[in-house]
Amino acid sequence: MNWKKLFLNWRIILLLTFLLFSLVAIQPQFFGNEGVTIKSVQKDSSASLAGIANPSAKLTPLSKEKIIAVDGVMVSNADEYYNIVNGLSVNRTVRIETNDGTYTLLTKGDETGTVDLGFKVADAPTSNLRKGLDLEGGIRVLLKPVDPATQDELQLTIDNLKERLNVFGLSDVVVRSAKDLSGEDFIVVEIASVTEEEVRDLLSRQGKFEAKIGNETVFYGGKKDITYVCRSAECSGIDPQRGCTAIADGQSCTFFFSITLSPEAAERQAALTRDLEVISENGGSYLSKDLTLYLDDQEVDSLKIGADLKGRATTNIQISGSGSGITQQEAMDDTLTSMKRLQTVIVTGSLPVKLEIVKLDTVSPSLGKQFLNNVLIVGLLALLAVIVVIFLRYRTLKIVVPMLLAMLSEVAIVLGFAALVGWNLDLAAIAGIIVAVGTGVDDLIVITDETINGEAITDWKKRIKNAMFIVMGAYLTTLAGMIPLLWAGAGLLKGFALTTIAGISIGVLIARPAFAVVIEFLLKE
Amino acid sequence: MKFDKLKKVYEHKYKALTIIPFLILALAFIQIGVQYANTGDFLNRGISLKGGSAITITETFALSNDQLLLDLNQEFPLAQVSLRTLNSVGNDLGVTIESAFQEQAEIDGLVNFIVEETGLDKNNFGIEIIGSSLGESFFKQTFTALIIAFLLMGVVVFFYFRSIAPSMAVILAAFSDIVVTLAIFNLTGIRLSTAGIAAFLMLIGYSVDTDILLSTRVLKRKEGSVMERIYGAMKTGLTMSGTTISAVGVALFFVESEVVKQIMIVLFIGLLVDLVMTWIQNVGLIRFYLERKEKHKK
Repeated sequence: MNWKKLFLNWRIILLLTFLLFSLVAIQPQFFGNEGVTIKSVQKDSSASLAGIANPSAKLTPLSKEKIIAVDGVMVSNADEYYNIVNGLSVNRTVRIETNDGTYTLLTKGDETGTVDLGFKVADAPTSNLRKGLDLEGGIRVLLKPVDPATQDELQLTIDNLKERLNVFGLSDVVVRSAKDLSGEDFIVVEIASVTEEEVRDLLSRQGKFEAKIGNETVFYGGKKDITYVCRSAECSGIDPQRGCTAIADGQSCTFFFSITLSPEAAERQAALTRDLEVISENGGSYLSKDLTLYLDDQEVDSLKIGADLKGRATTNIQISGSGSGITQQEAMDDTLTSMKRLQTVIVTGSLPVKLEIVKLDTVSPSLGKQFLNNVLIVGLLALLAVIVVIFLRYRTLKIVVPMLLAMLSEVAIVLGFAALVGWNLDLAAIAGIIVAVGTGVDDLIVITDETINGEAITDWKKRIKNAMFIVMGAYLTTLAGMIPLLWAGAGLLKGFALTTIAGISIGVLIARPAFAVVIEFLLKE
Repeated sequence: MKFDKLKKVYEHKYKALTIIPFLILALAFIQIGVQYANTGDFLNRGISLKGGSAITITETFALSNDQLLLDLNQEFPLAQVSLRTLNSVGNDLGVTIESAFQEQAEIDGLVNFIVEETGLDKNNFGIEIIGSSLGESFFKQTFTALIIAFLLMGVVVFFYFRSIAPSMAVILAAFSDIVVTLAIFNLTGIRLSTAGIAAFLMLIGYSVDTDILLSTRVLKRKEGSVMERIYGAMKTGLTMSGTTISAVGVALFFVESEVVKQIMIVLFIGLLVDLVMTWIQNVGLIRFYLERKEKHKK
């Protein structure tokens, strides 16, 4: 047999080239990967002050910065990292070694005294494949504008939502627009490894923040009126004067943080307080009307204004609000989360359109991991079943082995393609790959039968041509089935449709012609 | 031998045999009609196609499933709560609790009640909520997608064979396959989700595969008699269906994810139905067509 001639056939060269590209794109780390990957870096945290940047969502999984060691102790998984950080004490330096360099961080504690360096980390990935939400855990929210919105407004809303989530400390987010067949607009938000409670309000609230005296608005949330929002421990947190108190069914706490108003907003406040009366209450002097804070037209808190502020243009204001819980710890946590949310909407301002949540999926990370393992095992078993049937039919390794190799190459090239364009592989996409491989096997059988049964036709080229005629017909009809799915249902089945289309196209154009060459070569003898 | 007899019937009584697929198709239409008369809908729609919520719990809890369902229905009489156990290879994997609730506050109430009853951590629950207007539009659109896909497939088939009768036979086989599969799926009582509709779309591709193979071999090849070509196509076609059915069957048995499981159930039923539609219905019609063509020549 002339093996050299086989490997010089352009179809084989094409297949091998694509396989090589896939390998480069996926970069499987066969021997595991050291360290933990930084998923996000919180603003104003120890880590960001030390100069570690929040990783961009566009980076491929393997190119994100990794923490290798903390204070010289190697970390190999996320649990180890969190264990080490929990053992640190406040206000000391800690040395973080990453694959890019070494940083010295000053530890900061939160109200409860636990150290948080500001990193969110995950086990280092073993390839460049991105796992979708239903395999990794997280939430997917489908939002719809309550009133029709222009494309500009939608884009602005998307940018604003991204900023909100970033300010809130999440970087591993996808926010994109989607259209369905009837032309309705949606916004899809996917966030890995968070719980729904943390982000629900951030996404569904328009975030219209207003401070009013009487019926007059003094200032709005957003950069125009508020130039700075304090989020460090010195000027934000649980209010030391008001603290926590017992209420009917548990505890209630109050938070505070200071903001800086723009000169125009301060001037407005001065004008509005100039004509108010001074009244005495509980031994202090206050103005006759309160400064009331509203979020989306609901009152958040009402603040007394000190008499000395009458008619003065102060730029420094303290904002407050409250939270509650059954125990004091729960109440404090709830209060601090509310504070963080309020700070976030004040920084980023309100959304240009009002959104409502029309679909929400939450997948717990443990469930996702279980699904992934299961789907891999099922894939292998299905492959095994296919091989058994093929072997029973043909009873020769000359046919079974090339078929197996063709199937595996198709899977590898589809995965390589997914890694290259940064697709998230979710369950639907994996189902798509299985379908593509399924039609692939069908085509391989057609090619094999056309070549071994076509004894009457002496011309091998004609035999292959006959086979490819049937293969193309099957390809075009499957394609016809998948194309409408690209648009239906706000694009939620797009992942499935795209993977299937990519899979069958790669199969028909690359893997299956190469298989035909190999079969011709092996059976011609 | 029995097999020879069967072969004889298959070869000579093909016109009578086509009654079988058409009878099945008629029964399927009756099932769908009865379904429509009873429920006002011609299929069992899951929450992703009509709105509602699903809470998936994969941890074990002391309370029995029946007791939990009873308590839930007592506490939330308006929620139309239903409970489904998830299992794979006979192993209990957990439960999914579906309800008509769509408002966040209502679902919070439901979740908190389940937490109280079972003592589990709600952060480990999987929760899916879908508004009814969106569910309705999902249904309409995926259904539209199915019709568009079917038409596109028809165009491809016509373009391929450029002859009306054989193309119609292929399209009829695919159509019968989808209708009969839907009727059988209805009988299982499983509620169809968007993933299920996607599976129906895939079925178009899988079902037409063997029909194209058959038509090409019989109409475009010259070697051998018509019957020999049909048997040749059958050998290839049955290997194709054999690999796919065994792969889908294995997946159906072992898979844990409901999304993938539903896709596999639809494909499994569809591929079995396709055997009848391709090798009895389509073969019958093609032979009928060839016979008439012969007569015209004479």
